[in-house]
Amino acid sequence: MSRSPLNDYRTRIAAALEGGSRFGGLHASGGTVRTALVAPSGAIQFESAPVVDGRVTSIVDLAPAANWDEREAFDSYGVRFDGHEPLRPLVDHDLDLVSWTVPVRGPDAYQVAVGPIHAGVIESGHFRFHVVGDLILHLDARLFYKHRGLERAAEGHTLAEGLAYAGRACAACAVTNTVAYAQACEQVLALHPTAEVARARTILLELERLWNHLNDIAAVCAGVGLAAGNMRFAALTERARQLNAQLTGHRFLFGSVEVGGNRVAFDATAARAELAEIRAESESAWRELLFNASFSDRLPDIGVVSLEDAVTFGAVGPAARASGLAEDARATSNLLAYDGFTAIVPHRAAGDVQARLEQHALEVQQTFDLLASLLDAPVVAASCEPAGNGRAIGAARVESPRGATLCIVESTNGRVDRVRLRTGSYANWPVVAHAAAGCLLPDFPLINKSFELCYACADR
Amino acid sequence: MSALSIAVQLAGGIVLAPLLPGLIQHWKARLQGRRGPTPLQPYRELRRLWGKSSVEVEGTGIVYRLAPSVTAASLVLAILLVPVAAHAPALGVGRDVLALLGVLALGRFAVASASWDTGSGFALMGASRDLTIAVFTDATFVLAVAVAALVAHTTNLASMIAGTAGTAVWSNPALGLAAAAFALVVVAETGRQPVDNPDTHLELTMIHEGPLLEYAGRDLAFLQWSAAARHWIVLVLAAQIFLPHATSVWAQLAVLPFALAVLCGGLALVETTNAKMRILLAPRLLAVGAAAALLGIVSWLVQVS
Repeated sequence: MSRSPLNDYRTRIAAALEGGSRFGGLHASGGTVRTALVAPSGAIQFESAPVVDGRVTSIVDLAPAANWDEREAFDSYGVRFDGHEPLRPLVDHDLDLVSWTVPVRGPDAYQVAVGPIHAGVIESGHFRFHVVGDLILHLDARLFYKHRGLERAAEGHTLAEGLAYAGRACAACAVTNTVAYAQACEQVLALHPTAEVARARTILLELERLWNHLNDIAAVCAGVGLAAGNMRFAALTERARQLNAQLTGHRFLFGSVEVGGNRVAFDATAARAELAEIRAESESAWRELLFNASFSDRLPDIGVVSLEDAVTFGAVGPAARASGLAEDARATSNLLAYDGFTAIVPHRAAGDVQARLEQHALEVQQTFDLLASLLDAPVVAASCEPAGNGRAIGAARVESPRGATLCIVESTNGRVDRVRLRTGSYANWPVVAHAAAGCLLPDFPLINKSFELCYACADR
Repeated sequence: MSALSIAVQLAGGIVLAPLLPGLIQHWKARLQGRRGPTPLQPYRELRRLWGKSSVEVEGTGIVYRLAPSVTAASLVLAILLVPVAAHAPALGVGRDVLALLGVLALGRFAVASASWDTGSGFALMGASRDLTIAVFTDATFVLAVAVAALVAHTTNLASMIAGTAGTAVWSNPALGLAAAAFALVVVAETGRQPVDNPDTHLELTMIHEGPLLEYAGRDLAFLQWSAAARHWIVLVLAAQIFLPHATSVWAQLAVLPFALAVLCGGLALVETTNAKMRILLAPRLLAVGAAAALLGIVSWLVQVS
């Protein structure tokens, strides 16, 4: 009995998932579909299947987290997935409502459409709530409104030039995206980051996490209309960004990462002092938040993501850890300076808004600790060192403020053939939609803000 | 004297009302460590909106078109009903507090029907929440003023101001309990936190702002003025009936601006330090007010008998 290569592809993925690996991402490249699987050790393994007559077997039944990836591969690369029915459009918007929403029928069920233009200054996203009264039955989220074709645009450029495309994918995760891209390129180029390069990148990543997490706590306050908490943490966020500007010349740390080395250099003393002040201030602001009963009343049992759902939907980052999934790409990143790092989860890992907020607060402390120990010496420019042999495909997984971001770079002759950036936000968006079901409409902004995902990460 | 009281009533209700939400906004910003807009910002908003054309929503009829004017008219009527001091002559519409409730409900009804006319999701959501909470607000409103009416032996607002004046009535806890209930009515009627958040841009959480999303230009100016006028009406009632006030009409008029400022400050403080509550808990909060007012009624009746 002969087995077709397609079945092999499914069998190997099923075996890897059985063995404790998690789905990392799926993309179409040339005539192939590649699935990245992440082992508990952090090692990334690829399983590929050839596209035959424009079709490949779906793995969405094995790994539901591949749902968006397969839909994107069809919309952007025309690959059909056998067994993925219905294959609803994701990136392609030029279709009627019935084709992309899940049918919800029953007495009194109706739809509430929100966005893509919102009353506030928010990125473009369309949310279609299927509700009865104020109760959400199901949420269909439609993002990808400002698709920029960054991945396609990067193709044909040199690996160094390609960095700009990864860096502009999203402002909130600019460092994560560029570090992941740089690491993937360095695997292709047979370069290994020296301790100095790793340390500089780790500092930049943690600075990025700091302002993002402070901003996310402010966002939760805004979600319940607690102006005092919102303003306090918004001010701290801005202070952290201004520190970024002092250190690297850009509030969002743009242009601070490069392929093959580190160019950013600064004296760490002033940064340490400023960080200590931000830490003291944020700790006192957090204590005040805990004392506000009207605030803490709003948080529990809203937007619950169970541990099982977090695993099934492929949740990553603080959202996954708040559900009790102690997984953090920082713990397994041997290319960065996270020695001895262990993932933390909140004491009450209920997967609700309260747990996610607590997780953010815990991680802010962790980040302050990391920065305090990393900033013990000036940051200096350094280069990577040659190591081993180059590869055709480089893949790196870096923990962004919103979860693990996977960057895959396929290259020949030093040029980008294909780059895929699958960010933490991209992984978590389906989880947000799932968390909203069963909650009340007026609580959705709060649920959304407890994840605080980027839309731009989808609009690549 | 009564001429002055009528002048304050009309000028205050119609012209000065937007200053009240303006003051709250201004102080809220200060409490958050921001400079914020001037208290005159609502007037600038109204001037800006007045110069803009209204928007006609496709498929809507006369209900949508008339709602802003009906709302504004009902609020003008409400201003005519609510005296700012005791012994003010009625302006042809009487002084009855129950009539006031009906007139305020008319404005709410006009906006809710307009939402139904547009069929917009946000407008309908806001209107349905508003009407749901209004059931509880109105009940608490009635019970709170019932205490004052018992104390004053009348539902005539001018006589109620006279009847609750001085310090003697405060020896019974009735009026204090009614004041606590009315404080919650003020928060709900003005659409402020913890019941509603007037500053929010989050459409899904809106209550009072939801139906307004469908309006622009002069129509919106009418509705925003109406919201400000609602502040005036409930805050004047709060100041002249449910806060200790003098028996002399001169003193009542002289203290009114300060009382209004204190109440606005209180609202700003509550709104800054409190998160918006879960929407299903808002009726419970108002029920607490209703219970307090009921206790007030009991405590007054027990004393009288």
